[in-house]
Amino acid sequence: MKLSSGGGNETAAQGIWSGTISFSLVAIPVQLVKAVEPGRVSFRMLHGKDYSPLLRRMFCPREEKMVPPDEIIRGYEIGPDKYIVLTDEELESVSPERSRTIEIIEFIDMKDVDSIYYDHPYYLVPSKGGEKAYSLLAEVMRRANKAGLAKFVLGEREYLVAVKSMEGALSLITLHYSEEILPDEEIAPQDGKIESEEKSRMKKIIKEMTGDFTPEKYADERRKKIVKLLRKKLKEKATVEAPAVEEEEGGGPVDLIAVLEESMRKVKKSR
Amino acid sequence: MSRRVTEVAGKRLSLSNLEKDLYPSYGFTKAHILEYYRRISWFILPHLKDRALTLKRYPEGVEQEFFFEKRCPSHRPSWVTTTEIAQDNGELMTVCLVNDLNTLMWVANLASLELHVPLARADSPETPDSMVFDLDPGDQADILDCARVALILRDLLSPLRLASYAKTSGKKGLHVYVPLNRKEVTFEETKTFSKAVAEVMQRNYPDLVTAKMAKEHRKKKVFINWSQNDSSKTMICVYSLRAREKPFVSFPLAWSNLENLAGQRDPEKLQITHAEAASRAEAMGDLFREVLVKKQKLPYL
Repeated sequence: MKLSSGGGNETAAQGIWSGTISFSLVAIPVQLVKAVEPGRVSFRMLHGKDYSPLLRRMFCPREEKMVPPDEIIRGYEIGPDKYIVLTDEELESVSPERSRTIEIIEFIDMKDVDSIYYDHPYYLVPSKGGEKAYSLLAEVMRRANKAGLAKFVLGEREYLVAVKSMEGALSLITLHYSEEILPDEEIAPQDGKIESEEKSRMKKIIKEMTGDFTPEKYADERRKKIVKLLRKKLKEKATVEAPAVEEEEGGGPVDLIAVLEESMRKVKKSR
Repeated sequence: MSRRVTEVAGKRLSLSNLEKDLYPSYGFTKAHILEYYRRISWFILPHLKDRALTLKRYPEGVEQEFFFEKRCPSHRPSWVTTTEIAQDNGELMTVCLVNDLNTLMWVANLASLELHVPLARADSPETPDSMVFDLDPGDQADILDCARVALILRDLLSPLRLASYAKTSGKKGLHVYVPLNRKEVTFEETKTFSKAVAEVMQRNYPDLVTAKMAKEHRKKKVFINWSQNDSSKTMICVYSLRAREKPFVSFPLAWSNLENLAGQRDPEKLQITHAEAASRAEAMGDLFREVLVKKQKLPYL
């Protein structure tokens, strides 16, 4: 039974994509690998009465039955009971072409990118032969405090990404498109009269509570507790077993059964 | 934790805890395990090639907890070949393909003593290249009963122009493989066929054979587990070690050999140890080679 207690600290070398970072005349072969592994504890859904693992199926409420995959299509809902149907071919026709490059369009100041734009982080690992150019780019970007803004196709989508320097290595973070960011105009209150006395008191409090960012100090407590609970139950042998699936007897192609029975008669005779 | 970095075929591999005894009642360390897999690699690799490996890891040895790992561990060297396979929920999962010696060494170093693979290759997951009969003895039945059933199976299938090949499971049972190696075969066919065979066997040898999964039917009988013929199931790979008190191996046996051993009524002789496995394979070659190449057709479906 597998019960790991948390994400490892070693660099994950799980290649998700491989290709090149390119700009101007530079091309650096790299592999994209995961930078985070969410520590969620996931559960299987079981049938309470006999612990059989359950499957998700698509259910048609009108016919009151399960719908097989070849009868399932996609519809975009435009109103109550009104849809626009899109076929797989139509969706494919608008998907970006697969590409093997992370094309840097411009170099930007990472400070200018509000963290609200950050979507998902990855590491970039140099592929064979690209180590030197990789280190050069990482070093120069670090010194100049710049990040490369690039377009990049992964799976079915084209992403806007930032290629950043990170302690001699390169990381890549996918960014939200600006239209995905919800408006914030009404969030800051209008009448913002602030007394200078209040201001300095607030400043003082913040100063007193200032610390270095040490994420190791914090952990997902609920996850820790769940893992602890699972370990305890495992030790107490509080595990259950799903029943073996019993299939009905009989049937089978008539000719095959007849031929097997015939062959069996001969086997028995010769023994 | 002790670590040693080694180089296999020009690729760096960090080996850990080589002195750890993973079969404590017998005395067989991680180093011994790596040595066994290195020695048997020439024979086992063709049978692992391009198949989604399921690791069965025993980090604290065969007497302690184990876990199955279908997903290829994320902390893997960059040279490990992987592929994506679709899970039941439609999501893709990255799995390891053990296609070379380095990967085999790396997997063994993870204390994956047992190597389990599907009957289909990863790029054609719905096409089994063989049909299997997993012979599993119930309480008060033993591997000699399995041998009897295997020999009847061989004779039953041979007039249908189906050659079959047997190996020990490395535990208590035997596995009989019928190579097919045709791209139009489906698991539905191998399941239908093997189930019909199992039921005919059960009808004709009711005291020896059951085709039913439930434990209460298995007492004193050999269960012919035909349901292994499924894209979601895996079998222990031929030449893999098993996690038992001793390092026994799932090992192929020539039919003549099995007939002899069945006649001698000594179940111990049907348990092949690591040392015997390596020297016998070196002397006789791969007795399971035909399973990978022989093309046969399932008739009357």
